[in-house]
Amino acid sequence: MDVEIQINNSPQPAARFVNWAPSACRIRITNPAGSQGQATHNIRLRSVSAASAGAVNFRQGSTGAFATSLTLPVPINGNWVKFQVAGRFGRPSVNLDDVKIEARKGNALVGSVTCTVRIRKNANTLTPGERDRFISAFAQLNNQGAGRFADFRDMHTNVSSPQAHGAPGFLPWHRAYLLDLERELQAIDPSVALHYWRFDQASPNIFTRDFLGVSDNVGAVEFSPNNPLQFWVTDGVQGITRRPFFNTSSAPPGLLTEAQTIALGANYAAFRVMEGNPHGSAHVSFGGSISSIGTAARDPLFFLLHCNVDRLWAKWQKQNGRFDPTTAASFSGSGSNPIGHNLPDTMWPWNGITGGSRPPTAPGGTLAPSATVSAPGLQPRVRQMLDYPGTVAAANRLGFDYDDVPFV
Amino acid sequence: MSINPGRSEDEFRSLVESLIDDPNQNAGLIKLLGEDHAIYDQRGTATVNRMRGWILVAFARKQLPEAALPFVLEELDTGVDAYVVAAAASALRTYPERNPAFAPFVVRAISNIRYRDENVSLHAYGGFAIGVAGTSPVRELLETLVWLGPSARAVVADLTTLRDGPTALGKKYQTHLTQALEAIGVVASIEDDCCQLPESVRGIFSSLRENRTSTKQLDSTLFEDQDGTSLTFEEFFHGRPSIVAFFYTRCDNPLKCSLTITKLARIQELLRTEGIADQINTAGITYDPGFDLPERIQNYGRHRGVKFAPQHRLLRAPEGVDSLRKHFKLGVNFIESLVNRHRIEVYLLDREGQVAASFERIQWNESDVVGRARELLTEYENRNASGVTRSSIASPVLGSTVALALALFPKCPLCWAAYMSFFGIAGLGSVPYSPWLQPILAILLLVNLASIWFRARSTGRMTPFYLASVGAVALIASKVFAGLDPIGTAGVICTLAGSIWSAIAATNRRQLARQ
Amino acid sequence: MTTRRKTAKKTKAAKKTTKKATKKSTKKSTKSTKKAAKSRPSARRSPRAALAVATSSKESSPRRIAALQEVPLAVCENDENLNSLLNILRDRNEPIKVRLAALQSIQAASFSVIAFESCRPDYLAALREVVDDPDPELRQRVLGILARENDSYVQQRLLDGLQNPAKALVPPEKALQLLSYDVHAESYSVARDIVDNPPNPDAKREALRILAADPNSAPVFEKLLTDKDESREVRQISAAALQATKPRRFQERARQMLLDKDEYDDIQATALTALTQFGDKEVGQDQELMKQVDKLGKGKSAKVKKTARRFLMRYKA
Repeated sequence: MDVEIQINNSPQPAARFVNWAPSACRIRITNPAGSQGQATHNIRLRSVSAASAGAVNFRQGSTGAFATSLTLPVPINGNWVKFQVAGRFGRPSVNLDDVKIEARKGNALVGSVTCTVRIRKNANTLTPGERDRFISAFAQLNNQGAGRFADFRDMHTNVSSPQAHGAPGFLPWHRAYLLDLERELQAIDPSVALHYWRFDQASPNIFTRDFLGVSDNVGAVEFSPNNPLQFWVTDGVQGITRRPFFNTSSAPPGLLTEAQTIALGANYAAFRVMEGNPHGSAHVSFGGSISSIGTAARDPLFFLLHCNVDRLWAKWQKQNGRFDPTTAASFSGSGSNPIGHNLPDTMWPWNGITGGSRPPTAPGGTLAPSATVSAPGLQPRVRQMLDYPGTVAAANRLGFDYDDVPFV
Repeated sequence: MSINPGRSEDEFRSLVESLIDDPNQNAGLIKLLGEDHAIYDQRGTATVNRMRGWILVAFARKQLPEAALPFVLEELDTGVDAYVVAAAASALRTYPERNPAFAPFVVRAISNIRYRDENVSLHAYGGFAIGVAGTSPVRELLETLVWLGPSARAVVADLTTLRDGPTALGKKYQTHLTQALEAIGVVASIEDDCCQLPESVRGIFSSLRENRTSTKQLDSTLFEDQDGTSLTFEEFFHGRPSIVAFFYTRCDNPLKCSLTITKLARIQELLRTEGIADQINTAGITYDPGFDLPERIQNYGRHRGVKFAPQHRLLRAPEGVDSLRKHFKLGVNFIESLVNRHRIEVYLLDREGQVAASFERIQWNESDVVGRARELLTEYENRNASGVTRSSIASPVLGSTVALALALFPKCPLCWAAYMSFFGIAGLGSVPYSPWLQPILAILLLVNLASIWFRARSTGRMTPFYLASVGAVALIASKVFAGLDPIGTAGVICTLAGSIWSAIAATNRRQLARQ
Repeated sequence: MTTRRKTAKKTKAAKKTTKKATKKSTKKSTKSTKKAAKSRPSARRSPRAALAVATSSKESSPRRIAALQEVPLAVCENDENLNSLLNILRDRNEPIKVRLAALQSIQAASFSVIAFESCRPDYLAALREVVDDPDPELRQRVLGILARENDSYVQQRLLDGLQNPAKALVPPEKALQLLSYDVHAESYSVARDIVDNPPNPDAKREALRILAADPNSAPVFEKLLTDKDESREVRQISAAALQATKPRRFQERARQMLLDKDEYDDIQATALTALTQFGDKEVGQDQELMKQVDKLGKGKSAKVKKTARRFLMRYKA
């Protein structure tokens, strides 16, 4: 007997990625040999992986608890049987396809599929393999200034900054921005996620020659000869300029801690002052490109910084139950904010709207699609960026999670 | 007045001051606003901005002449340097007429510069404001709106948004906005009408060329496209009308090159929608071929929506920038290989690759450009339909008949008699010896040759002309010098071959044009 | 042991090493973190209250600095708030750490672009006042902020300083680095002079970074890349510059360097990294090169081995 298992209801290898939030999956019998006249067979699903690798849990319906294994009655007529898979919190993957989902009938293995629990992690904790794949994908995206990264750089300039800063849309816009970049990185290497720089903690593993570089006294960032970021080019200029105003073996001083940030307030209007501190303060903990809004996106560290900003928002949302845009406290001022900062607004540049109150061009086109989720679509609206784990509706899921923000 | 390109900025400053004080030297001063002026060669962008800003500041102290108006409006339309925009806004207020067409430019400039607002000084060269003293481009623009008064009625809605909307200008500008709105008064708003701009100004922004320059000097210029494929100017631009925009990937003004190529992509879309994408070329040519290698321009175009095809390419001319500059009279200047400043420029080329129209300095409308390109398509078809073209004179029948007649023309009266007896056998009556026929035949031969030449120019194929020329020379030589009859025979063959080849080439081109 | 188990074991070991390193550095930085925590802003005080502390010369510098970290969003509430911070910035009698903190506070506020719009002109104008400040750190930061705005005043001052050291506001390497923010700054000529006659290695390196965008400088980079007497940094920059401007030429040179048994490990590793990331398909068809890289992958140098393996993964796949 053989079975077929599909992750995210797709046969494509590109769809075999899960997060903490549940993914819709299905199983069917493709070869009923040995069924001995039974119309259905109990097939047991379980997650198999090394102790250091990812792991997944299962449940049958769309509600209820997850378990480490699941037994399903599967008919021999080839009809699909639905179930859900979710990454086991605390067990993200380290390598591509390091989780195997086995299907057994009794002791006999009747089918399996590999998958990856792809999670955004604290960049300071990455294995060398994870780190190297991440920076390699980044360097390829940059392609010495000729690659697609140029669009991401052009999305974050002085001209475009009002679309994304100084108003309530700051957090949703950057969430979409990071998601777009992450998906482009995954198009290069699907094992990669966009990791974060936890700026209120010491992160010495990030500021190394093998990762985001070591700054010399002038502020030029040095990389090891193995590091492809040594070929980084933006605006036609080689290299990265970054001068930390703190010892990189410790955290920059003066930033609100995670606890202090989340404690800013239970409603969005109070929380979003974090745009000043810790967000702005993190930027200006350095001299160099990252410390000015018009040049910040020239430094790849920018994306890890903002990933942490997004993680803080995610944590705040989880703590306060702020995933639903119809809940007043989940957002602020909608209807009276500048264009692009109201819940129903589409966001530049993905909406392709230029001129007038929008910038003159819209670099990069629509938001990159995903093989695992359909949200938020090619031209996302502000409201679509709130329910990233699909808590309000599963279809809202954006396909990413953080290593320390659980789904339940 | 001679302008030494190597002048220091101090010398330049003094030069401008002397020119502005002499009303007869206004034309010279206006010439200095051209970005291609030699005085800007090998200067950095910041230097060029200081220099041009100073000229505008000079006009602001006196009066802005009409010939300088395009430069001011250009600055308002796409300028991103605080000093130059402030100077432009200030200069506009000295123009003798408060033209309603100015208001949209001023509002656009506010939108462009507001988040780059900074204090500038319109008294000091370079405009550096140290400390809080000085003015700012937004302030100058608002004062210009106040100056326009009722003539700014077309932008009432924009001003109200700037004063009261969710992204209202800062409190310190509220007074200006209120003043501007009060000056407009309660007047019915009208649509902005750029056709109210003076004719001379509109003629610079968008023009048709009555005299089209031959592309002879440019035809062999080698390009490389976004895929690394090499082709000459002649190979790409002859045979179809073309829409050509200039750009470079290191342009740091998003209102210029990035937007230009984005709009080029939109033009492609319009051509596809109208079903004429195969009949009109589109091309972007980089000012910066050394840096803009094929992969770079390919990504630049693709990321802005450009769809590549044999008729739609982005090009670099590794050795041809100077020829292009000369032929198109490009509005660009350089510091070494890097552009220091350029204007927006889009050209429409006819089927011979000659510049037929241009859109310069301010943002152009995609539909207007496509419309103009469509006219070029029908221009050639109209010419063909009338049947009266220079090329239609050339004909294989005429050419070969004349050539043969000349070759066989009897050298003497006795030979003539021999011919005539032959014709007598054929039934013709006797014809007296007519030596005057020979030069007439020779002239007809040259007329045929001239016709082949015109056709060769229009088809781009010169080989038939060369062949026919050799034939003509051989024929005439065989008549002038004795003992060259075999040469005369060869001349007939060459003339015949050249005429036939020329006719075939023309026919093929007509067929291609109809596809 | 199966390959899978070997890989899992290696991953486990790597994770263990990373965890260990993290634990060690965490322990090490706990002390500094605790110290930093003392200077962390209190999240409860209102920005206005914090501003009052920040601007009071009676308060201690650490208290004022802590207060300044809380005020970014209040900076542009009104002209008075902004001016009070700009006054601290300008005042040479204020403790330098407080001045730097005031600068950072306004800088952080500048990220809220819409709110900061009305503050920007006075902020930039005040920065220009401070470019001549006697404190080198403040000068450098202010010049950096203005250079990133492509400020022509600062560009001119920096160029003047490179041409006349008596007018220099910062060391030449820093001036070059700041000029590199704007590719349109007139820096090619002075950069070339410095490459020919460098006052120090850092300045040469920064000058080369500027010239890396100049296609006409490709021959210079080719020469430097192949000169074994040049420093690793210079050769690394040259590799990247040549790869960007003349990729085919770089590929040829990289090949030669990999086949050269006397070439330095670092440079071979750089060459391999470049070819892995950006090389043409033809690279994989070069049998001699593939054989050599295979050999390098089994050699002594750890960094070359690593990059060789990645190279082979790409071209053998």
